[in-house]
Amino acid sequence: MACSSSALRTISSSSAKLARSSGSASGSPPKTLLPFNLSTPFLPKLAAASPLSSSSRQSLSALPRRSFSCKSQANPAGDSTPGKVQELCVYEINERDRGSPAILKLSQKPVNSLGDLVPFSNKLYSGDLQKRVGITAGICILIQNKPEKKGDRYEAVFSFYFGDYGHIAVQGPYLTYEDTYLAVTGGSGIFEGATGQVKLQQLIFPFKLFYTFYLKGVKDLPAELLGKSVPPSPSVEPSPAAKACEPQATIANFTD
Amino acid sequence: MASATISSSNPSGLASSSPSLHRQAKEISTLNLSCQPLPPRRNLKLYTTTRRETPSTRSAKLTTRAFFWNKPKPSREAPKPTKVQELSVYEINERDRGSPAYLRLSQKAVNSLGDLVPFTNKLYSGDLQRRLGVTSGLCILIQHFPDKGGDRYEAIYSFYFGDYGHISVQGPYLTYQDTFLAVTGGSGIFEGVSGTVKLQQIVFPFKLFYTFYLKGIPNLPAELMGKPVPPSPGVEPSPAAKACEPHATAPNFTK
Repeated sequence: MACSSSALRTISSSSAKLARSSGSASGSPPKTLLPFNLSTPFLPKLAAASPLSSSSRQSLSALPRRSFSCKSQANPAGDSTPGKVQELCVYEINERDRGSPAILKLSQKPVNSLGDLVPFSNKLYSGDLQKRVGITAGICILIQNKPEKKGDRYEAVFSFYFGDYGHIAVQGPYLTYEDTYLAVTGGSGIFEGATGQVKLQQLIFPFKLFYTFYLKGVKDLPAELLGKSVPPSPSVEPSPAAKACEPQATIANFTD
Repeated sequence: MASATISSSNPSGLASSSPSLHRQAKEISTLNLSCQPLPPRRNLKLYTTTRRETPSTRSAKLTTRAFFWNKPKPSREAPKPTKVQELSVYEINERDRGSPAYLRLSQKAVNSLGDLVPFTNKLYSGDLQRRLGVTSGLCILIQHFPDKGGDRYEAIYSFYFGDYGHISVQGPYLTYQDTFLAVTGGSGIFEGVSGTVKLQQIVFPFKLFYTFYLKGIPNLPAELMGKPVPPSPGVEPSPAAKACEPHATAPNFTK
């Protein structure tokens, strides 16, 4: 969720969010998350979507036994090897040409307060910054202002659109002062049945963000989305061709 | 809830109500294979593998498992591994629920980012013989396309099926073309569901036809799986379903 100050249509006075000048998010580790171990097939919350582990923790102990059963249903989601996690990186950049974000100060208080809503939509580029893939679109619901952290907590519910490939839906915390992990709640197209989580790293608040998806339950992702990512830093920029949406620098029917 | 101008820019969702779902354990048990009350869903799956009414594969698996281990540990995969079930429903705005509520929070004359549209409409089975419940949620306007005469919304909402439970979805709603949304989860018989749903607009914004492609749940009950009426502008629910006559509704259909 990158917010733009100039294109910003603040419905009322702009929030403390815009006044923040700090760039990259703090290095503090994501809250509460397990030390992320990609080989662990069972991230308790995230594995819940797969039929294998839904609704019962017994499945955790049942897993090793599957190989003995007559029909080894090896693919809970059917498409990739069980527990296989695919990483996908993208950059979300607010180029201030989409009227985003729209800060709705519905709380009617001068300071950011519960009740404020921030619908937004920004441009999405591949991790190697060579291709424009689409957009993000959704809403941030302000939960709490944290004066001591000079930032806010939002609940973010939004989607990443990848043109003809489909979309990924996510939900989770957005803290303007540190990195977070959001839940991947689903997807369509090649991302159908996706589960997992996505790490959000802010590079320049609120214009540039870098996301690392850890996806399970999807088929192998196409190579053009899996190019070697540009290491995130405040000065990264998409290639001029990608910015200009030249045909060779976009994916098929990139979302615009 | 403020009733909105039903202009061409409004999405389908329309109707305000507060559905109260009172899950009757007894009624649910008639729907569930194992006659277990709904809350202990885990036990349900346990019984599913030990009772009949399951495909033969399940009993074969059970036998094998019982041979190797003494406890008939239910196989999570066997009842519902990767099988995709298609479920069709119609969403219809009968303009009697104050929906949609077009909140023009952008304060601009043309639809713009910032506008929010909470909505709720009535839900009917695909064969239009039963009233199932309602849809309810929010459309967030993302972009207006003057050349297409339409808009892109991010839609986040649920489909309520009375005592059966609900399905939650999230994804794109384009007023000018069909889209696929992600199924993010569900409750009741839809617990643990994943997949996608195809949205087809029939009469903008009053009638929509949905085809769910659901994975990870037990076989859906027959009364939801009747042969769908092919979508066309003139389709209408059966008079009995519209009138919510008892034989033409889902159990405790969501109002």
